[in-house]
Amino acid sequence: MEAYIYNLVNLIAIYAILAVTLNFIMGYAGIYSLAHAVFFGLGAYVAAWVALHVHPSIFVTLPAAMASAAALSLLLALPALRVRGEYFVAASLGLQVLAVTVFSEWKSFTGGIGGVLAIPPADVFGVEVFKPQHFAIVSIIALIVVIGLINALVHSSFGRNLRAIRDSESAAASFGKNVPMIKTLSVVISAALAAIAGALYASYMSFINVESFTLDTSVLVMAMVIIGGTGTVAGPIVGAALLMLLPSAISWIDFLPQTEVGALQQIIYGLGMTLLMIFRPGGIVGRRAAV
Amino acid sequence: MTKTSPALGEPLMQIRNLDKSFGGVKAVQDVSMDLRAGIVTTLVGPNGAGKTTFFNLITGNLARDSGQVTWLGQDTAGLKPYRLARAGVGRTYQDLRLFDGMSVWENVLNATEHGAFPMPISRAHRRGRRERMEHVLERTGLIDKRHTRAIDLAYAERKFLSMARIMATEAQLWLLDEPASGLDPNSYERFLTILREDVAGGVTVCIIEHNLDIVVGISDRIAFLDRGKLLADGDPKTVLNDPELARIYFGDRA
Repeated sequence: MEAYIYNLVNLIAIYAILAVTLNFIMGYAGIYSLAHAVFFGLGAYVAAWVALHVHPSIFVTLPAAMASAAALSLLLALPALRVRGEYFVAASLGLQVLAVTVFSEWKSFTGGIGGVLAIPPADVFGVEVFKPQHFAIVSIIALIVVIGLINALVHSSFGRNLRAIRDSESAAASFGKNVPMIKTLSVVISAALAAIAGALYASYMSFINVESFTLDTSVLVMAMVIIGGTGTVAGPIVGAALLMLLPSAISWIDFLPQTEVGALQQIIYGLGMTLLMIFRPGGIVGRRAAV
Repeated sequence: MTKTSPALGEPLMQIRNLDKSFGGVKAVQDVSMDLRAGIVTTLVGPNGAGKTTFFNLITGNLARDSGQVTWLGQDTAGLKPYRLARAGVGRTYQDLRLFDGMSVWENVLNATEHGAFPMPISRAHRRGRRERMEHVLERTGLIDKRHTRAIDLAYAERKFLSMARIMATEAQLWLLDEPASGLDPNSYERFLTILREDVAGGVTVCIIEHNLDIVVGISDRIAFLDRGKLLADGDPKTVLNDPELARIYFGDRA
């Protein structure tokens, strides 16, 4: 039971990192990305590879994961952010679809459909962290660090620039803002921090495959942000916790046959999302709808 | 606001033979003009005369078909709008384009910040900036609203926030697109006072305005545009007393 709860805590922390980093570009810069699971996945694969072939210390795996995600995001952001917002959504969707193919076919690196097995547990200052209750300390510290970093950025001139660009790109440029540069930077930061979630996920699960990094995951993370409250600090965390707890909550219902859990989950997601958008478009934590 | 300000009357921006067509429509045709230091130039003309397009062309928001624009003697061809803004050309928009989700204070603060990266700034610099911003907000009557989000402001307050943003910058040239339209008489007096003070402080202004009281009250020079052409460019009395221009402006076109 205890392990079960700590397992949930770890997964919530990992998905909360994804939601918080996606919210950074969605909520503050107005950049909608459907490729967040790509950076999650790349972070996981790179961390797994580094842990297996170089060193399992998180001080090696995390930087490697972050650097690769940052580099890949630059390839997406540089061309896609020079055009209008809708094109970024399309380009990110393209990257997501492409990445799933690469993740399933590049067998030497990702293990193909079978995935990567026997990833060594996270090594923190020489201590192997594999029990869920111990890993929870690592994942929660990582979440706090990511939240702290993003909060500091949002409240700096960089964050004001992002919000200015979200509200009016042309006016921001008229006040001397290099709009494409600022947007590109925000995407790179978001992707690099999302890779932390990937690296933690790989060493925590000790097994990863493409199933965890598909478009479904990107959509799920976006739903966490929207349901919790886009552009708020607590919103993405609340959204991540809620959507991760939902499947477990449903599985507690005794009379429900296990085979129906998935269907019920989809119904609750859909219904919840629709009702929320009608009555609280700003999300659970967000501002109430203007009357 | 005291950069290496050129002497009064020196040309800051020189515009030569500016042309722009949209499809078959000539929005701006062969317009040449000098914007001189300390001089208030007012652009007048009927709706659709090409006044806002003219602003968009000289700031680089729109690509020009032909013609040349120099700023402080440098050709601005290929210069991105944000570069020209950093070089001292400020502008406002007719539809304001405030940062609606941000507070009044953040709107003005953001107008003073250029770099993409957050840079550490000294305490003295921070204090100086705060005092300058407070002064701007007092003059525009927004000091008590500093924590209000831009979107929650009343109409006149929104117009003044648009002015406050440009006042907080160090721009030498202000291109103002109908900044006083729809203001009540009190606000309008406040607006004229602000403009006069800043012009006295060394700012050069080019303003698009329909209200002839404002035009007469503030202009050193009037440029009259119609159908993309510069029909007259001279001292206010001469231009406003021209019966032909009055006929075009008041819509008595045959």
